[in-house]
Amino acid sequence: MTEVSMTVNGKPVKADVPDNTLLVQFIRENLRLTGTHVGCDTSQCGACVVHLNGKAVKSCATLAVAANGADVTTIEGLANGEMHPMQTAFKENHGLQCGFCTPGMIMTATDMVARYDANGKELTEAAIREELEGNICRCTGYHNIVKAIADGASKMASS
Amino acid sequence: MEMSGEYSIDAPIAEVWAALNDIEILKVCIPGCEELEQVSETEMTAKVALKIGPVKARFNGVVTFENITPPEGYSIVGEGQGGVAGFAKGGADVRLVEDGDKTVLTYQAKAQVGGKIAQLGSRLIKSTAAKLADKFFKNFRDALVAEVASA
Amino acid sequence: MSEGIGARVLRKEDKRFLIGKGRYTDDIIEQNQAYAAFVRSPHAHAIVKSIDASAAEAMDGVVAVLNGAGLTGDGIGNIICGWGVTSKDGSPMNMGAWSALATDKVRYVGDAVAIVIADSIDQARLAAEAVEVDYEALPVVVQSDAALEDGAPQIHENAPNNLIFDWEIGEEDATDTALAGAAYTTEMDIVNNRLSPNAMEPRAAIATFNEADDHYTLYTTSQNPHVARLVLSAFYNVAPEHKLRVIAPDVGGGFGSKIYIYPEEIACLWASMKTNRSVKWTSDRTEAFLTDAHGRDHITHAKIGFDKDHKIVGLKVDTKANLGAYMSLFSSATPTYLYATLLSGQYNIANIHCNVKAVYTNTVPVDAYRGAGRPEASYVMERMMETAAREMGVSPTELRRKNFVQEFPHQTPVIMAYDSGDFAANQDQAMKAADYADFEARRTEAASRGKLRGIGFSNYIEACGIAPSAAVGSLGAGVGLWESAEVRVNPVGTIEVLTGSHSHGQGHETTFAQIVAERFGLPTENIQIVHGDTDKVQFGMGTYGSRSGAVGMSAIVKAMDKVEAKVKKIGAHVLEASEDDIIIEDGAVKVKGTDKQMLWHEVGLAAYTAHNIPEGMEPGLKETSFYDPSNFTFPAGCYICEVEVDPETGTTEIVQFVASDDFGTIINPMIVEGQVHGGIAQGIGQALLEGVVYDDSGQLLSASYMDYTMPRADDLPSYSVHHQSTECPGNPLGMKGCGEAGAIGSPPAVINAITDAIGNNDLSMPATPAKVWAAIQAASAKQAAE
Repeated sequence: MTEVSMTVNGKPVKADVPDNTLLVQFIRENLRLTGTHVGCDTSQCGACVVHLNGKAVKSCATLAVAANGADVTTIEGLANGEMHPMQTAFKENHGLQCGFCTPGMIMTATDMVARYDANGKELTEAAIREELEGNICRCTGYHNIVKAIADGASKMASS
Repeated sequence: MEMSGEYSIDAPIAEVWAALNDIEILKVCIPGCEELEQVSETEMTAKVALKIGPVKARFNGVVTFENITPPEGYSIVGEGQGGVAGFAKGGADVRLVEDGDKTVLTYQAKAQVGGKIAQLGSRLIKSTAAKLADKFFKNFRDALVAEVASA
Repeated sequence: MSEGIGARVLRKEDKRFLIGKGRYTDDIIEQNQAYAAFVRSPHAHAIVKSIDASAAEAMDGVVAVLNGAGLTGDGIGNIICGWGVTSKDGSPMNMGAWSALATDKVRYVGDAVAIVIADSIDQARLAAEAVEVDYEALPVVVQSDAALEDGAPQIHENAPNNLIFDWEIGEEDATDTALAGAAYTTEMDIVNNRLSPNAMEPRAAIATFNEADDHYTLYTTSQNPHVARLVLSAFYNVAPEHKLRVIAPDVGGGFGSKIYIYPEEIACLWASMKTNRSVKWTSDRTEAFLTDAHGRDHITHAKIGFDKDHKIVGLKVDTKANLGAYMSLFSSATPTYLYATLLSGQYNIANIHCNVKAVYTNTVPVDAYRGAGRPEASYVMERMMETAAREMGVSPTELRRKNFVQEFPHQTPVIMAYDSGDFAANQDQAMKAADYADFEARRTEAASRGKLRGIGFSNYIEACGIAPSAAVGSLGAGVGLWESAEVRVNPVGTIEVLTGSHSHGQGHETTFAQIVAERFGLPTENIQIVHGDTDKVQFGMGTYGSRSGAVGMSAIVKAMDKVEAKVKKIGAHVLEASEDDIIIEDGAVKVKGTDKQMLWHEVGLAAYTAHNIPEGMEPGLKETSFYDPSNFTFPAGCYICEVEVDPETGTTEIVQFVASDDFGTIINPMIVEGQVHGGIAQGIGQALLEGVVYDDSGQLLSASYMDYTMPRADDLPSYSVHHQSTECPGNPLGMKGCGEAGAIGSPPAVINAITDAIGNNDLSMPATPAKVWAAIQAASAKQAAE
């Protein structure tokens, strides 16, 4: 057992966990933040994406101890009273159906927009599709997710 | 899947044959071998730890010698259970041919895996199995040459 | 009315998913919860000689290790197939026994032999690893054609040569005669590749036995919780129906794979009773590949004949359907009544004969996956039409048009009676949207870049709205396929609609509210859709086969009819008017031609206070309906795919994908388009990327996302989706269904486009770069030889 402490969605948290505890287990089981999902066991589907110190990571491929001292944001912490512009964009563009991949998609999308913005690069449709390499959706065929991310990017820019 | 290989060993055929039947040498040469115990003339039990792609497993198995024709060769047949990782089974026909004071060892091996190793490691099994077989016979050659040299 | 039928209303259910507050089965924790892990066979076919659980039982945290002998000993019944199909010689199908936990024999890799219950999931998994099972491996067969050969390994004793049934439909002699007299014929061998459904939420179950009441609660990832309860109680004897509550909370996609009642739910319920603990099981992805019912897996030979004017004279189809190691719930219906009955396509064909052999193999059970039989039929028909057009040297669009059914109703020779459609209109719309007229210029331009550009068509038809109960009953179905609804107007005028349909991505909470909003002139925010809980909803047959609109919503309409009738009576009584003069609009009950009205909530209150309602009327305002459809519905459409193939690498890029669908009435175009997008993506996945791979020893080699190629965003194009609707005459809303069309219509369009590009009709799915490259080489070798 190892004691881990980190800030999750702005709140300090602390727990003793077995050394092999994954960050996603810590988030779901210890913190009961169940918006972060597990859709595969080989870190390929992206349903578990959270932000670790501001960057998107797959929480199923990160040990909880590796996040010790870190600042973690999950889907539950993204909205600030009202929905984040990316969340609104997913709703307005029908970018979700069953909702299972959605939290990971949104965490990936906000990270994507921030990175392209920081690097001064244009987030084209082709770029969005390429950036979604690590996120699988089985419902939407991605069409509306791609639209939602483009719309979310412009909403984020103007908010 | 099937594999084969050929090695020239710098030792006379009698010594190579003896080594092929020496459990201590085999134990050192089998990659990942943790235990190898003789239970009868032709039967051994083994514990072998292996990693194939993302799957790590410890196999408990039985190894038997068949078609023994000293000093020309034998068939070695094994089957191991790796718990949820699955199972592995296979066999190799090992042939020795005298080549002056050297010996040429050839083998033809077949292997089959099942369970999680097959499910997650399928792309890697063939290359891993070939690598393991190659490693065994290389180890064997090196161990034998070292033993001959130290004797 | 901005939120009524036809409005692009944003989804009511979205918020909870967007903010991470969805409630999926694995998110739920029961008090006193233990965790289950299954001990699964690593062998595809083996005798279970013994199970030694002593080491596992002694491990930390282990509550129990239970096996098949205990399960059957407690009277838990075998898993059943719910649709009896009769062979052409009159004999019933040969259904082999399937116990939730194998007793004497395992028949596929992943077959469960024991369940381990422990305090934590890690403890359960470690202990499962320590259960020692002694197997005696048996010979294995994984392909349906090999399984039928003499001397093939025998999987179930009561199915000689692994044949489950040998079934036929249509007139064989007449079809043979028609084909013998045909001016042109085309013959093809067509394989429909085996797929894994891959809903993103893995299956899960939490079973809780309450010994105080002898009552069970099951949370499960189900598309049809009531069917689950019915089957669990009536056939598996887990608990009597009134002592079992099944809840399917938010469910993360289904695509057919969550229709069935699997061994895991049965074992968890039983284990909960045995251990007096809540028992939770959540599949991991590899377990999902190993145990979720697969789809498709047909091997077909087909022959089509045309007269000298290119009119179809006959179609003969011979199919071997791989059903896997056991018969899953709908497995017998999928390759028969959901497949061969659609082989007439959109065409007027006088003679059709189809023979289907269903076969056991040492693989995961195969059952309905998005489209279920209809993608297989559409793939056969549309590849045959395109190939025949090429062989006869005629336009593939003209050939289809010449053979379209144009008058309705149209009785096909294979049961179905098409009720409506305008196939030419869909084709026109799609061709226009795809700018077909300019295609040759695009092909030439692509050639200048060294690319092979091709175009492919697919004119699919399917049958939805499953289905008239008496009709399916006569064909062997074990249940009726109606749907139920309850419309509850509360005293304050808000409305709850309880439906037997289940939403797992389809947006029912929005579309179902829209039809209520339309009828009573209320905002959708005042309407709540309740589903997925057998304690709340009276009954339901669930969501599959694109039936929730045509059947589920029709039930709501019928219940609303009853509500409306009662509201009018109350209105007439209170407003002192004739019932005939009462109208309901804009949330009020009005007397036509006057300014007299009651607001909607006043009617609700009047009904519940019952101070002033017509004499003899019961208080309250709640009505129910069981709606049994009068016919299947027939969505149809035209899909056009345009590809560019790189001849150096065999890589295919889809450069354009156009869909024109006839879904009848559309409630919410935004949601319908989303359904089409998702269906097309799965169809493109089947055509280009996906395929389940077993090796000869029955090991599943494609058991993770490292090896099973899921379509990702950069594999897919944006889609150009259009509608051209004819109203369905068979149900009150005129709906046909839209959930599966994309997956049904798209695979032949993609393959027809690639074969057009490369000039070789011999190409199978998934058309990987290696296969396409080889087909290009074969085509140029053939050309050189000529």
